[in-house]
Amino acid sequence: MISYAISIKYMLAGYAIIFIVLGTYIVSLFIRWQRFKRDLETIRNLEKEIPAQ
Amino acid sequence: MKSQPKLLTLLTVLSVILFIGALAMVFLYAPLEAVMNYVQKIFYFHIANAWVGMLGFIVAATAGVIYLVKKDLKWDIVEMAAVEISLVFFFIAIITGSIWAKPSWGTFWTWDARLTTAAILEMIYLAYLLLRKGIEDPERRARFSAVYTLIGAISVPVSFLSIRIWQTIHPAVIGGGTSGAQGSFGMTPAMLMTMFFCLATFSVIFVALLWYRIRLGRLAEQVDQLKYQFMQ
Amino acid sequence: MPTSKRPSFDYLKAIGAIVWKDLASEMRSRELLSAMLVFALLVILIFNFAIELQPTLRTTITPGVLWVTFAFAGTLGLNRSMAIEKDRGCLDGLLLAPVDRSAIYFGKALGNLAFMLIIAMIVLPIYSLLYNINILIPGLLLVVLLGSIGYVAVGTLLSSMAVQTRTREVLLPVLLFPVIVPVLLAAVKASSGFLQNLPMNEIWPWLNILIAYDVIFTAVAFIVFDYVIEE
Repeated sequence: MISYAISIKYMLAGYAIIFIVLGTYIVSLFIRWQRFKRDLETIRNLEKEIPAQ
Repeated sequence: MKSQPKLLTLLTVLSVILFIGALAMVFLYAPLEAVMNYVQKIFYFHIANAWVGMLGFIVAATAGVIYLVKKDLKWDIVEMAAVEISLVFFFIAIITGSIWAKPSWGTFWTWDARLTTAAILEMIYLAYLLLRKGIEDPERRARFSAVYTLIGAISVPVSFLSIRIWQTIHPAVIGGGTSGAQGSFGMTPAMLMTMFFCLATFSVIFVALLWYRIRLGRLAEQVDQLKYQFMQ
Repeated sequence: MPTSKRPSFDYLKAIGAIVWKDLASEMRSRELLSAMLVFALLVILIFNFAIELQPTLRTTITPGVLWVTFAFAGTLGLNRSMAIEKDRGCLDGLLLAPVDRSAIYFGKALGNLAFMLIIAMIVLPIYSLLYNINILIPGLLLVVLLGSIGYVAVGTLLSSMAVQTRTREVLLPVLLFPVIVPVLLAAVKASSGFLQNLPMNEIWPWLNILIAYDVIFTAVAFIVFDYVIEE
């Protein structure tokens, strides 16, 4: 039987990792999505400015 | 890029609800285990993440084979998405497994079959990503990735069995715990229900994340194609 | 279209030609073998300082030392072997030949196997001398053969891929090592068993793993090689 104090510490560490890693990944998906959307915009704008040859 | 389909939005909402539900079950419903008390509660999410990681690997390998047969690049996107998500989930599984192991067996790591195979699998994922980084041509990248996924998929079970055989001859000495002691505590029905609920939750999260990642992949492909056309 | 009365014979001839090309050119330049050899000997030398190879520990540590050495030296060989093809444009020439692509795979794999075994034949006696332990026993030699086959079966396939990427040499060990774990594990355990004179029934599981791995992965690589070498 291990002490409650130690046990809770480890448990919180474990769940913290889960939240942090999962959260970071979801945020990264979002950031990457925004980046590509911006790239798309940029290319579309450039295409309008430079008429197709 | 098409706007987000309703089904995906639904799935996302469902994922969030299930996730909160899972947390509730783990902390409010599941009983405190006799020996390990609070730290045992990591087990539910740990197992769920490991399960989803393996699921993702199977999806990746299947997508790879389908790509090799059909040569349709959309399967390459599925494969890539599955590997990336599996990487994340398996990483969480390994870390949470270590955190659980420390108070349980006195060590962060044991070289038992499951943990070692998990580490090997994670390395295969990373190797996969490095492989993709080194190839520019999308078609060749897709081919090589699919081949590597296949090789990896076949080698992982072989590795697992080999390590298992090695382990039965040399039981895990470090920590003094019984080898493969994960889940060796007696599980009450409430615990079992919680575990299955968490498995279901993370499966739904997996599907949702996979879908998002696939959409990201398609967007990336679209941008790449436009860039290429524009450069002409 | 000329019908070949014995197509399988042409296939074997193609494989033989590739192996012969590799061996002959290597005998002339010896760049591959010398690099692998020097590397292997250096590794063994370094191990002396890294791990105290006390006489009592020698039978247990030796297999590990040997197989780490082979694994790393093997990577050198695999890399160079494929890089030579690519750099000299031989690969394109081979691809134009009217022979099944898998012949290229077997040709290269056999060549790589030959190089690995040659290195092993030099390293093993030297190790025996340096560490005063006889490792030239038939069982161990068998393990070296089986392990090398598995290593080369997968390694040839993966090095064909790696050589076509930007990162090339760096990538091969990264790709190869996670996948080659069963070979290393089984080879070390089997070698250890033979060195310690364990009864055969304890060694058989490891030999079986090696044989199974060799068969499975040679088959898989053979099937899949086409996809890796389309240009």
